[in-house]
Amino acid sequence: MTHEAVANSTQVIMGYSFWIATGIFLIAYAIIVSEKIHKTIVAIFGAGVMLILKILEQHEAFHVEEFGIDWNVIFLLISMMVIINLMRPTGVFEYIAIKSAKWGRGEPFRIMAIFAIVTAVLSAFLDNVTTVLLIVPVTILIADALQVDALPYLISCALASNIGGTATLIGDPPNIMIASKAQLNFMDFIYHLSPVIIITMVFYVFAIKLVWGKKLKTRDELKQRIMAMSENDAIKDPVMLKKSLFVLALVLTGFVFHGVLHFQPATIALFGAGLLLLLSKTHEPHHILAEVEWPTIFFFMGLFIIIGGVVKVGLIKWMSVQVLAITQGNMFATSMVVMWFSAFASAFIDNIPYVATMNPLIVDMAKQLWPDLSGLSLLHHADLMPLWWSLALGACLGGNGTAIGASANVIVVGMSEKLGKRISFGKFMLYGMPMMVMTVIIATVYVWLRYYVLKI
Amino acid sequence: MKAKDLMIPLQEYLKPDNTLKEAANLLRIAQRGEEKIGVKALPVLDSSGNLAGILSIGDILKAVHPAYMDLMNLGRFAWDGMVEAFAQKAAGKKVRDLMTAKVITVKEDATLMECIDYMLKNNVKRVPVLNKETRVIGMLYERDVFYEITKTMLGDNTGGKK
Repeated sequence: MTHEAVANSTQVIMGYSFWIATGIFLIAYAIIVSEKIHKTIVAIFGAGVMLILKILEQHEAFHVEEFGIDWNVIFLLISMMVIINLMRPTGVFEYIAIKSAKWGRGEPFRIMAIFAIVTAVLSAFLDNVTTVLLIVPVTILIADALQVDALPYLISCALASNIGGTATLIGDPPNIMIASKAQLNFMDFIYHLSPVIIITMVFYVFAIKLVWGKKLKTRDELKQRIMAMSENDAIKDPVMLKKSLFVLALVLTGFVFHGVLHFQPATIALFGAGLLLLLSKTHEPHHILAEVEWPTIFFFMGLFIIIGGVVKVGLIKWMSVQVLAITQGNMFATSMVVMWFSAFASAFIDNIPYVATMNPLIVDMAKQLWPDLSGLSLLHHADLMPLWWSLALGACLGGNGTAIGASANVIVVGMSEKLGKRISFGKFMLYGMPMMVMTVIIATVYVWLRYYVLKI
Repeated sequence: MKAKDLMIPLQEYLKPDNTLKEAANLLRIAQRGEEKIGVKALPVLDSSGNLAGILSIGDILKAVHPAYMDLMNLGRFAWDGMVEAFAQKAAGKKVRDLMTAKVITVKEDATLMECIDYMLKNNVKRVPVLNKETRVIGMLYERDVFYEITKTMLGDNTGGKK
């Protein structure tokens, strides 16, 4: 590596298009944060501006991996949404929730802990918003039946879903994006993130016991209401349920082996969605497809194009140079900066645009550190790997910090407002922020111990 | 036949600040024609007499049906006494929080077909009738439209009361 090569690799030409692209990026992000205009509209319009000003050619936006829409993310999200939408009417989620409450034997805290664990496990395999939408209604019903305050259950569910979602590739959108960008497979996430999340959940259950355990009390006759519920009544369509479970098992098996079989996760998910649609024998796929969260999907597509623009003009590269200057190339320090900065950034801004920005930043950082490498040997460089995990842990766990930190929190706060039980920004933070700090400390110890001390 | 010929002229109405308890009572005893037999919906007028919304008996049902039950199929897991508990809580709520604020209305000179068109397309069974100053002057109910149709079908003038 010559001195000149280093100079070239860090050089960014700050010309006309650099500033225009940076302007579009900053204004779009500012409006997204301000919530003055719906974030999906901002993303689509920002992408449109990037294209019409030819910062990015349409061809680059649609077909070039480095600058364009990450179709792997898009199709993985759409396919999983289709599978869940087909499963939902079977009643399986009501069944799981009622069954959990009965396992709790009507004891308020026992139920809270079981719900937290069930939420975390479901979140690891479904997206967090879906999980919360499926668990929270039953949670409130149970709280009403026991005549206890539903708020602790709601907050604890939201927090648990963000923790659980961190565990797998498909659990949380940041992980899906990181996996696609860094070409990491499902088992990489199981191997590197699931262990720390399991440890975190143990601490989390103790933490909620400490916070709410003593406050939740009920009477014995109210417990009978729970025990009288029959979870089998929840199943509305046993035939479709069997088909769904079969396809879900197939998809999960596919995820486990997708690395070995050289399939992208989106391929597995799309196949599963197609198969379940076929097996459902529906003649009206437009209902199922209409329930896909299109605003989220278009938010992703718009963002990818906006990010593509600033990657192309070199803004992200410039930012990566600054980060390396701060940490002076010390990878442990970089890792810690990435994790803690990600956590606090994700607590206040949407972690999806944040990770969309950080992904290319980390790639650019790697290119400066190892200019001779490319492809997998660059993306999977032993010194770079902890950075990806730190980013995932920081961005996902950081979502717990505030009421707006993760979509699951926004949903829960919105739901409780509808129920006339307002969770203020401050109240959520009172519980969320300490939990976030606790979980990120656990993650810090884990990353330090595993990758920098034990090096396994 | 125009909307104003078929409507029940405005007698009772609700105010946004009424409690649900007051509203429920009025819905139960409101006059319909000459009799006090209750109505299925009443217009909500603000202090200056403008239409602010409509409150129907369906809205009262919604008031005791918690929002979380809309999201999943949980009816099977409800318990005896649940409605009564929610009804007690709901009694003090304000009409403004439960009324439908976006109201489908017809003008007084709307033809019968226009009224039916609005009712079917918007899936409503009763519509406030507005005069030229956009004041509510009456309510047009599905049942009265039905009577009008039956009159023609049966070919007489005794198919229903006007």
